[in-house]
Amino acid sequence: MGLTDFLVRAAARRPSVLLVTMPGGTPVRLAAERELRCRGWAEASTPAGADLLLVAGPDCPALRSGPDRLWDDMSRPRVRLRAETAEAVAPVLDEGRARLGETERGPYGAVDPRGHGGPPMAGPGEDRDGLTLDRLHLSLGPFLADWPAGLVVRVVLQGDVIRRARLGEPYETGPADPFWSRPWIRASAGEPVPVAEAARRRAAAHLDSLGRLSAVAGWPAEAVAARRLRDDLLEGAPADAVLPRTMRLARRVGRSRSLYRLTWGIGPLTAADAHAAGVSGPAARAGGDVPARYRQWLSDTLDDMRRLDDTTTLLDPVAEESPRGRWDTQRPPSAALAGLLPRLLEGTELAAARLVVASLDPDPDEPAVRRQEVARG
Amino acid sequence: MVDAGKWWTLPVAPALLLGFAVLAVAGKTALDDRGAGRSVTPVGVLRPLLAVPRALVAQPRRLPASDRLLWRLGVVTVPVAAVLSTLVIPFGNHVVADLSVGVVWFNAMEVLTWAGLWLAGWGPNAAFSLVGGYRFLAQGLAYELPLMFALISAATGAQSLRVTDIAGAQHGLWYAVWMPFAFAVHLTGVLAFSFLGPFAYPAGRDIADGVLGETSGVDRLLLRAGRWLWLAAGAAMAVPLFLGGGAGPGLPAWAWSLVKTVLVLGLLVWVLRRLPALRADRYVELAWVVLLPAAIVQVLVPALVDLGP
Repeated sequence: MGLTDFLVRAAARRPSVLLVTMPGGTPVRLAAERELRCRGWAEASTPAGADLLLVAGPDCPALRSGPDRLWDDMSRPRVRLRAETAEAVAPVLDEGRARLGETERGPYGAVDPRGHGGPPMAGPGEDRDGLTLDRLHLSLGPFLADWPAGLVVRVVLQGDVIRRARLGEPYETGPADPFWSRPWIRASAGEPVPVAEAARRRAAAHLDSLGRLSAVAGWPAEAVAARRLRDDLLEGAPADAVLPRTMRLARRVGRSRSLYRLTWGIGPLTAADAHAAGVSGPAARAGGDVPARYRQWLSDTLDDMRRLDDTTTLLDPVAEESPRGRWDTQRPPSAALAGLLPRLLEGTELAAARLVVASLDPDPDEPAVRRQEVARG
Repeated sequence: MVDAGKWWTLPVAPALLLGFAVLAVAGKTALDDRGAGRSVTPVGVLRPLLAVPRALVAQPRRLPASDRLLWRLGVVTVPVAAVLSTLVIPFGNHVVADLSVGVVWFNAMEVLTWAGLWLAGWGPNAAFSLVGGYRFLAQGLAYELPLMFALISAATGAQSLRVTDIAGAQHGLWYAVWMPFAFAVHLTGVLAFSFLGPFAYPAGRDIADGVLGETSGVDRLLLRAGRWLWLAAGAAMAVPLFLGGGAGPGLPAWAWSLVKTVLVLGLLVWVLRRLPALRADRYVELAWVVLLPAAIVQVLVPALVDLGP
């Protein structure tokens, strides 16, 4: 065995994975995140740092070029994988590692990414202080790390301040199936759903959002803690196994003075404004800035965890909020949340903008339900 | 007495630095493994070292309109400056170069990383990378002046810029004890110029790893190694500046230096997981309104004590 073979095989032992979630791929993403965490494989943020490209979720013709471009950006040795269902994730990752260890190798020419033209040239324009500064047109999403899969916000950047923001057109997707709101959709259709199941799903949804917010806030240790709790909940862990850990998480994150000082005043949304915009969930009840919203998630999660044993009561989809607000197929709560983004993002610095999006965490799979209904109607 | 300039110190100093850096990476990985519910094994915690074979077999990557010369220069500067900074750091009774302006040398090497990271962010011609580059400049504006005054506090106490003089001037009473604020600011500065943990803002996940985002292969390895080398160098520098160097009862001087460096390194690695990223737009205010005036007051303490007799 030559030295190169040895090095390639050694490097393949713990590959880092670029996880790309397609719209509707939430359950596959959850399985992949859990699998990567248990295996201790790194989750890459960019193609430059990745060995494996894992496309998670159903095929979406409108978005096919996205993973292709990311793939072109990756340097060899590299392996492209696809998992359409949660069950497929573990075997697909095993296969990926095996193929990475025996992938075709050198001498390579240099990889030449962005054969697609590169970013557009920046042009000058007036900034918020009236100085002339280059304006850069940039799309946030649909495949940014720790970003709602499929959401696109087109921004005009000056330095790292967002001057203008607008929502991109939602993508035409296959059959929409918003994972987090499933119990509410089933209950609306007349199926009996125990309240315990809905509470479990809602608590897991808040922990998922909290994990994303912690990651965006640059606190990976707490992101891992929140996601671990989320995975345990979805696997059916009993309340007494998760409640004490969640209380500790709520103490560390909810009462963290540093996180509060770093996020207060960002993305202010009064309860009145939220109601006027049609927002009804935790964001409306919090009625405040980023810390108000993550604290609301934490207290809602704790409340839900105390109801995990209530298997007798049935879910009333009108009285009980879905994770992001009152469920209404015609006006899913995430549509209203996403609608708030342009207004809240304009004038913010990029890091603050990411915090705003993460603290509202709209689920792009929800509005897809409405489009489907409209198409059918 | 301190021996300076022995020939064998030249290879040993970088090797020791590398050893401390690997120890810090392994410690961080062990804490991460425990937090994620994985089993902690001696081999498992060394898996970040697989980045070395990965870097060696990776295909080179070219970006359109990238500034390859400056990019490469920036990437190389970070680890090289970290290694050069160790020339003046005594370990036990040995030091590579006992410069009369050792503190200034260390500070100058650390400031080189400003240029290095800015160029590393500028080079690839990518928006997030560039944002990462100027995030480091903003962070530098926040941490650098308090750090300089912290270094000056120790130098004022010993009335010398020679690092071995500072270590020798602490006669049983460590500067960490009567200049605790300068010590804390130094440790904060170490995290900041290593851009790790709460100061990982220039390589934040919210901008897809920022300055690290577009690097691959050996470039990526150098930049990531540079962070941990700087953490190790900063921890090693804290020992002669604030913890009495190799002085201590019973053990030989090198053993005391080893123990103290590992303890400081352990403290820094523990802190990495405890705080969210300190965004410069918020941190600058704290740094200039609270840390900087307090650091100046801290310099006054040894200055007045020295004037006294």
